[in-house]
Amino acid sequence: MMFLVEIGAAVVGTMAFSLLFGVPDRYYPYCGLIGGAGWLVYSLAAIRYTEPTCALIATIVVILLSRLFAIEKGCPVTIFLISGIFPLVPGAGLYWTAYYIVTNELDMAASTGFMALKVAVAIVLGIVFVFELPQGMFRIILGKGKKKHLGGN
Amino acid sequence: MKDPGNLSREEQRKVLEAAMQAGHILLENGAEIFRVEETIDRICKYYGIESSSSFVLSNGIFTTSGSEREEIFAKVQHIPVSGTHLDRVAAVNQLSREIEEGRYTVEEVRKKLAVIRVMPGKSKFMQVLASGIGCACFCCLFGGNAKDSLAAFLVGVLLYLYVLFVSSPHLSKIVGNIGGGALVTFLCIILNVLHIGQHINFMIIGSIMPMVPGVAFTNAIRDFADGDYISGSVRMLDALLVFFCIAMGVGLVFSLFHQIMGGAML
Repeated sequence: MMFLVEIGAAVVGTMAFSLLFGVPDRYYPYCGLIGGAGWLVYSLAAIRYTEPTCALIATIVVILLSRLFAIEKGCPVTIFLISGIFPLVPGAGLYWTAYYIVTNELDMAASTGFMALKVAVAIVLGIVFVFELPQGMFRIILGKGKKKHLGGN
Repeated sequence: MKDPGNLSREEQRKVLEAAMQAGHILLENGAEIFRVEETIDRICKYYGIESSSSFVLSNGIFTTSGSEREEIFAKVQHIPVSGTHLDRVAAVNQLSREIEEGRYTVEEVRKKLAVIRVMPGKSKFMQVLASGIGCACFCCLFGGNAKDSLAAFLVGVLLYLYVLFVSSPHLSKIVGNIGGGALVTFLCIILNVLHIGQHINFMIIGSIMPMVPGVAFTNAIRDFADGDYISGSVRMLDALLVFFCIAMGVGLVFSLFHQIMGGAML
């Protein structure tokens, strides 16, 4: 039950933030879907793996979905990517680091700080690698012909 | 595709200015460097300017053209960093597609760009509401219960009012974000004392999310991946600075309360 509530929160939260970034109205559901899918994968991966691994897997899913939707809808991938990746950005890690520094638990601060850094690096790796995949591959998945335009990237 | 080389000087200037205008809108509203360069090139090439060349940084565009057949043109535009309006990025992208299908003259393109440039975003009320809902959702996502989410909603609304009316028009990025972090922490502590939210940590984590620089961070990584290291570094520095400032604001208020309450709060 708690699990479903969390996924729902990820979907609605992502949609709310996509409004703040000025995403066109018609794309809100897709942004929500990507955010929800990212969090679902993250939570499932969290059963077995450590945080950075989870973030890496979830980022890969988010970017694959963003690129698919971008080609399908013919608009810049940034629109889906930025809001979809938001739940994964280590905002919580940042907070705990500041918290432990203030409460003077410096070893906890160091370990949460490094963990946030590792998560950030995992997201970076995910973004860099999935963007290297050729555009044509996504077109084939969607069954679209070869039409090279920036929009789908 | 128009014939290259036989544009008048006036026409050429118009094409280059339209291309730069398109680039300006893209860069200003949160597009990647690579997209800006490519759009400028596409517009120039479509209207028959072969010799154009542009160099784009995170806050400036440099475009030149000139060859034996074409007049020399050079222009530099400084583009201050402003908010993110992805709808404008999408609109320019769509326009560039339609240009390549041959639908518009240069004049029409310039008119369309002028419209896109002032395209109204969501109303302030909607933005504030969205911020509140987003904060409540993220609070729940990171482990808060229903009461915490309610508190995060209130703090999210107040935070965005601060962002819209105090921070972005009047304060620098550094002071604005330190202030935002401090405001969030202060409000959460107050609400906690009033028993509106139970877990102060989850409330704060949820409520700082609207300030977290997701756009700068993501674009920085994409610029690095495309080999645009200068812009990537600038944007990454921007993201790190904002992260650091938020943490400072939070820490500042926490240590203040720590002093006053003798650690009982934490």
